[in-house]
Amino acid sequence: MFTLIYRTSLFIVLFSTLLTVNKSVAAEHNHKTMAAKIEQTEKCEGIEITCAKTVTLSFAPNGDLWRLWAQNTSMYFQISSDNGVNYSEGKRVDIDQEKISARNENRPKIAFDKYKGVYLSWASPKEKKYTADVRFSYSSDYGKAFSKPITVNNDNLLTGHSFNEMLVTDEGDISIVWLDSRLAYQLRLQGKKTNGSALYIGKANYRKGEIRFTNEQLANNTCVCCRIAMDYNKQGDLAILWRHIYGDNIREFALLTLVQGENVQQAPYQISYDHWKINGCPHQGGAISINENNRYHMVWFNQGDAGKGIFYASSNDQGKSLTKPISVGVQSAQAAHPHMNTNGNNIDIVWTQFTGTEHQLWHQRSKNNGKSFSDAALLATASEGSDRPFIIKKDNISYVSWQRPKQGHLVQAL
Amino acid sequence: MKYVKVSSFSILICFCFCINFSYANSIAFDKEQLASVKTQNMGKQWLMLLWSVDCPPCFKELAIIQKLQNQYDDLAVVIINTDADDEINEEREDIIEKFKLGGFTNFHFADGKGDQNRFIIDPNWYGELPRSYFIENNGKFHGKSGLVNQSILVEWLTP
Repeated sequence: MFTLIYRTSLFIVLFSTLLTVNKSVAAEHNHKTMAAKIEQTEKCEGIEITCAKTVTLSFAPNGDLWRLWAQNTSMYFQISSDNGVNYSEGKRVDIDQEKISARNENRPKIAFDKYKGVYLSWASPKEKKYTADVRFSYSSDYGKAFSKPITVNNDNLLTGHSFNEMLVTDEGDISIVWLDSRLAYQLRLQGKKTNGSALYIGKANYRKGEIRFTNEQLANNTCVCCRIAMDYNKQGDLAILWRHIYGDNIREFALLTLVQGENVQQAPYQISYDHWKINGCPHQGGAISINENNRYHMVWFNQGDAGKGIFYASSNDQGKSLTKPISVGVQSAQAAHPHMNTNGNNIDIVWTQFTGTEHQLWHQRSKNNGKSFSDAALLATASEGSDRPFIIKKDNISYVSWQRPKQGHLVQAL
Repeated sequence: MKYVKVSSFSILICFCFCINFSYANSIAFDKEQLASVKTQNMGKQWLMLLWSVDCPPCFKELAIIQKLQNQYDDLAVVIINTDADDEINEEREDIIEKFKLGGFTNFHFADGKGDQNRFIIDPNWYGELPRSYFIENNGKFHGKSGLVNQSILVEWLTP
């Protein structure tokens, strides 16, 4: 009996092998490259910052600098008391392991209140492709322990909720915005065509016992794969900048200020007019920073018929009117991924460029509220990849954060 | 004798499995690979499609290619994943398998080499996806960002 099975199996195996070889030969005939190596890059072992694809940086009210990254279904943090020169031992955020989106435009977020509260928010992919939940955890004791994570989106649907951004006030008022596909999900069930996601906001305050996030839709037809940006204005209102879909897949930036106490939400203002028509993923969000004079400063990236590259503009009426956009960086040198911050009348913009072999971090400063800018300066380079750069501020000094995977995380005063 | 048969049977099964497993993998992309596929496809119109696991519209274009391969023989299509992240290797292979695209030449950008590879293909492309290159029979590239209509793909690939 075994001999029969053996002979039959031998025949099947030999036949299968011949078939495979034939397939390989056919494939090689079509593309000889099949014989080429299947390159496996060296895996990054151990828990360390150089293994991180993305890093999120934030100053706590006491001046400590926290950096947060995700690795192997966990988040880790380190604290620096000297503005990023030295860090404490890496510590795992002690919550159950789960998938964490930490690549390109998606990454965990960290914020603080003035009572030693630490707030974390991230997107956790679910079992089905392009589905995720926005998750949240809170520490009341400066990171010694974190609460059991909760899901911020309240629709209980297996659909997209990601690209979360978070701001927390000194008093612990939490605002999380994200891109949400619940409406698209429901419309698809009805057999209707959809385009894009929706912009949602969730609010809570753990210190006041408000531990369930509200869920409110702010806009529909947003781009599905670009990060959101937000800042508080002088009145304490939230201003949100995102990439919207106008008309027939024209991807432009839109701005909305959520005025407190107003029941009727104002319509978002269109910020960019570069006419980038693309039924796809730009993977490039913008940045906003509002200074002490309540002027909104913004940067963005587009590849439209009417405007290509990085642009900066500002508004003193919450986006209703805008200064003429200024081109930033060298378009032909792959200038992309801009971020910015304001510091009084100083406007700092950083972005990346690429030479073909080397990633570069560039910086430009305006000392007159954006009227003119100094010449661009090269700050640093990277050889093994480049994360998006970000600017954060402490005591009127701006710092740039640039993660360089496999090379190191740069923090530098501007 | 029985022991020898059992052992050789196990080895053959493993051998067969390994051959098929390696066939399913895509190939790390570099400038030599690009030069090679350009040479091989010289003299005909072909398509190079670039996609990412983080790009929902890319899946629509992969689905179109899947549909077309059932309708037409020998489509000249080269597929390149741009994620440049070892963490998504399994996911990438699952997607290639799901759309039954393993019969095409599949490349991927190696971990951390996303920008380098993008630059090799087109220094004027900023990474937006899906990205399709329509390559003429004389080797001239025409890049287009965003989802491409099925009719355009059919027209290009079945002249």
